[in-house]
Amino acid sequence: MDRPMDEIRNEWRAARAIARKELLVFRRYRLNAVNQVLQPLYQTLIPGVLLGATFAVGGEALGLAETAGTTDLTGYLFLGMLALNLGSAGFWAVAYSLKMELDAGTLEPGWLTPTRRETFVIGMTLAGLVFALLATAILLAIGTWFFGAQLAPRLVVAIPALAVASIGVLGIGYLIGAIVLRMREGNFFVDATDFIFVALSGAAFPIVVLPEAVRWISYLLPTTYALDLMRVAALDTRPLLAVPLEWVAMALTSVALVAVGRAAWLSTEHRMRMLGTIGQH
Amino acid sequence: MTTAIVATGLTKDFEKGRRTLWQRLRREPDRRESFRAVDGIDLNVESGEVFGILGPNGAGKTTTMRMLSTLLEPSAGSATVLGYDLVSQARDIRRRLGAVLSGERSLYWKLTARENLEYFAALYHVPPREAASRIDRILEVVHLEDRADDYVEKFSTGMRQRLVLARALLPEPSLLLLDEPTVGLDPQAARDLRERVLQLRDEGRTVLLTTHYMEEADQLCDRIAIVDHGRIVALDTPDGLKRGLKATEVVRLEVTAPESADAALVGHVQRAGEVTQRSREDGSLHLTVHCGSARDLVPLVIEAARDESAEVRNIQVLPISLEDVFISLTGRALRE
Amino acid sequence: MSLADLRGDVRAFGAATIKEWRILRRYKGSLLSFVFWPIALPLAYVFQAHAFSGGRADTAAAFAARTGTNEVAGFLFVGWATYMWLSIILWGPGTSLRTEQVRGSLEAIFLTPASRLVVLFGPAISQLVWAIWIFAVVGVALWLGFGVSIGPLEAARALGVILVGIPALYAIGALFAAVVLRFGEVSALVQGVRGLFTAVCGMSFPIVVLPDLAQRVALSLPPTYLIADLRAVLLTGAGIGQVAGDLLILAAMGGLLAVLAAYAFRRTEQYARRGGRLAQY
Ligand SMILES: Nc1ncnc2c1ncn2[C@@H]1O[C@H](COP(=O)(O)OP(=O)(O)OP(=O)(O)O)[C@@H](O)[C@H]1O
Ligand SMILES: [Mg+2]
Repeated sequence: MDRPMDEIRNEWRAARAIARKELLVFRRYRLNAVNQVLQPLYQTLIPGVLLGATFAVGGEALGLAETAGTTDLTGYLFLGMLALNLGSAGFWAVAYSLKMELDAGTLEPGWLTPTRRETFVIGMTLAGLVFALLATAILLAIGTWFFGAQLAPRLVVAIPALAVASIGVLGIGYLIGAIVLRMREGNFFVDATDFIFVALSGAAFPIVVLPEAVRWISYLLPTTYALDLMRVAALDTRPLLAVPLEWVAMALTSVALVAVGRAAWLSTEHRMRMLGTIGQH
Repeated sequence: MTTAIVATGLTKDFEKGRRTLWQRLRREPDRRESFRAVDGIDLNVESGEVFGILGPNGAGKTTTMRMLSTLLEPSAGSATVLGYDLVSQARDIRRRLGAVLSGERSLYWKLTARENLEYFAALYHVPPREAASRIDRILEVVHLEDRADDYVEKFSTGMRQRLVLARALLPEPSLLLLDEPTVGLDPQAARDLRERVLQLRDEGRTVLLTTHYMEEADQLCDRIAIVDHGRIVALDTPDGLKRGLKATEVVRLEVTAPESADAALVGHVQRAGEVTQRSREDGSLHLTVHCGSARDLVPLVIEAARDESAEVRNIQVLPISLEDVFISLTGRALRE
Repeated sequence: MSLADLRGDVRAFGAATIKEWRILRRYKGSLLSFVFWPIALPLAYVFQAHAFSGGRADTAAAFAARTGTNEVAGFLFVGWATYMWLSIILWGPGTSLRTEQVRGSLEAIFLTPASRLVVLFGPAISQLVWAIWIFAVVGVALWLGFGVSIGPLEAARALGVILVGIPALYAIGALFAAVVLRFGEVSALVQGVRGLFTAVCGMSFPIVVLPDLAQRVALSLPPTYLIADLRAVLLTGAGIGQVAGDLLILAAMGGLLAVLAAYAFRRTEQYARRGGRLAQY
């Protein structure tokens, strides 16, 4: 039997190996990687900015000033895109890696090793976060070059905010992992929840424009707070709640998401052991 | 420790179909049929032996292997593998077990052979200081040392199969589970792999394997369990199994005769042996007979044919094989 | 080419269409996805538009002046419906050929005497089904959700515009298909091009808000015309006569692109015959 410290060290090393392998495989599809970084730019930022231009009066985003408290529409959407990047890391990294492993039959030999099965979720989420961080750095570089440098220094608050929200992202990873293992064709479901999650976090618009009932879902997502804190710090937007309250809410929702996600994953893992459906795709 | 695997009453039931969300919400009673894939298997695999499980398609071989490798939880029964309990100490088993269950596809094709092994070494908790040298050594064992840095997608099937075996050797396992290790390999590669299995046994490891190939089982295994419908129907050494038939030779006969004479002919033949298969093709009667000695049987057949005005077209005499044991036990050929 | 050959090819064309239909029918499982996306995607932009207008009269007037309509929801739904149809067309031929290639059934088709063009263009007709489906979903959503009703006359005009647009869009898809066969994965390329379309063709904005150069790029791409004309006939009550000039350009582009696609496909096949195989996989 391993001692607890060895155990943690071994699992951490396994998680890193999983993340490293994911990034290695990903790197072999170079063009895809580039595209993955740039996609949010042309898929969400540009259409949003141009829609904003359609509503502009004398070149000013007067409407956004009403709803969010800033006229810096591009900066507002740019920060939204960065948060979206991070949130999606939990989704696509786990969903697509697991799906690929299932299709290729490589999950089973992994599950034959003494490494805990949830370590795979952790490793895959880790890969997603590393990639998101890289993408963020690149986009930030493009952003500073494009919009001037005033954004970057004020984003220091983003670091702790994103660190806390990352815990929530791991929760999403667990949940999505469970879904992919249970539904063979979970693609639509994963894409759709990813989209809803990002939209409800307020990436593309301030959540005050959402109907009241829907807005309550937004309040349950840690990314909502992470994004809002970043925007308040960088653009002086109106905060959703008092800032200290947002930190607390972000921590609580993150932990809750991990608890729920992990429970779902463990129950799925047990079910797989009873049904034996791993690797029979 | 002298016993690698002890299983008692190992059983697996699968449920057919699935309960829809609707049925679950309505709390409707579970009307799914359950299907018994493995039906109470008792096994004792001794350390250092090569133990074979032989059975027709769907006999439950893979299911048994998946249970013993902790991927699947048994519905009933219990087992200890390398001294650890199958359910409560699953991770301790996985730490010491090498398994090849899913064939050559289960590698990362976009990584090199070495990258694949490095990855799995971390998953097997191989200490980082040891990993590199262990990987080199294992690559040598499977003769892939000069292809170590090529992408797996460029490998041949046989090479991939060897890499899969290499992966199973990473934890330096004292027990190896191999599910149909030579399926899909060309004869050369299959022979190669069989030699490797014997070599592993000579190093003192225990090997439990399933196979479809009689010669393979005969040649490799110290003991064989024949399973059918999830049960063990015979368990012995290959020679012991053959001796169990109380026959030493198999005679295949082809006799041209009117169909009305069949019963009489079979009656004659039964006096010197046991008819295990009987069919009619192209107007001829085909018989497979197990007998103590063909020297007693053949004259009898020729005499009987003369009496029934039939004509013996062909006689084939072979020593008894595992295949014959198999047919007599299960009433089926191994591959149908 | 003899008359018998031609007749054979016509029959093969029919068979290819029927095969495609059968595959469409099998999509039943993901039907949900074909209801979800045409509604969810534009809806997110409608919320964004709310945020950008901020309920002010001046911003709303700015929108109307630039787009020629007050129907914000209608404007966005039509734009994104076209985008979705376009995505299906861009992915469709490439993915279906690629699947056949991986399965090995493409080689079987190449062993038949049927013209390669049949293989390439056979599935084109079925694209109409998608268009009708997506626009029907969008129509119902607009009617139920926003009280925008579209009469039979407008619908018929829109169908006319769609019919003229099919050759151009499908030819782009076919061009991709040829590239897919030659190089294996090109999902990054397809996404890049789709990104270009989203950035300039006006799914979420009128192209007048674009800088000069971008406007010129937009005017050289078929989707720009398709979107503008669909909006004109559906939202502003324009007749076919008013968009006839655009339609002519669209048709001409279609012809040109089809020839280009056929040429690319022929080159790919030649390459395959010499090199002994199509793309590596
Ligand atoms: N996960 C599962 N769910 C339901 N039924 C299963 C499952 N796995 C196996 N079975 C059924 O259990 C029976 C035994 O299957 P198993 O794969 O163990 O046979 P096998 O002896 O390995 O056959 P083969 O020689 O074809 O490999 C089969 O009827 C199979 O359909
Ligand atoms: Mg099997």
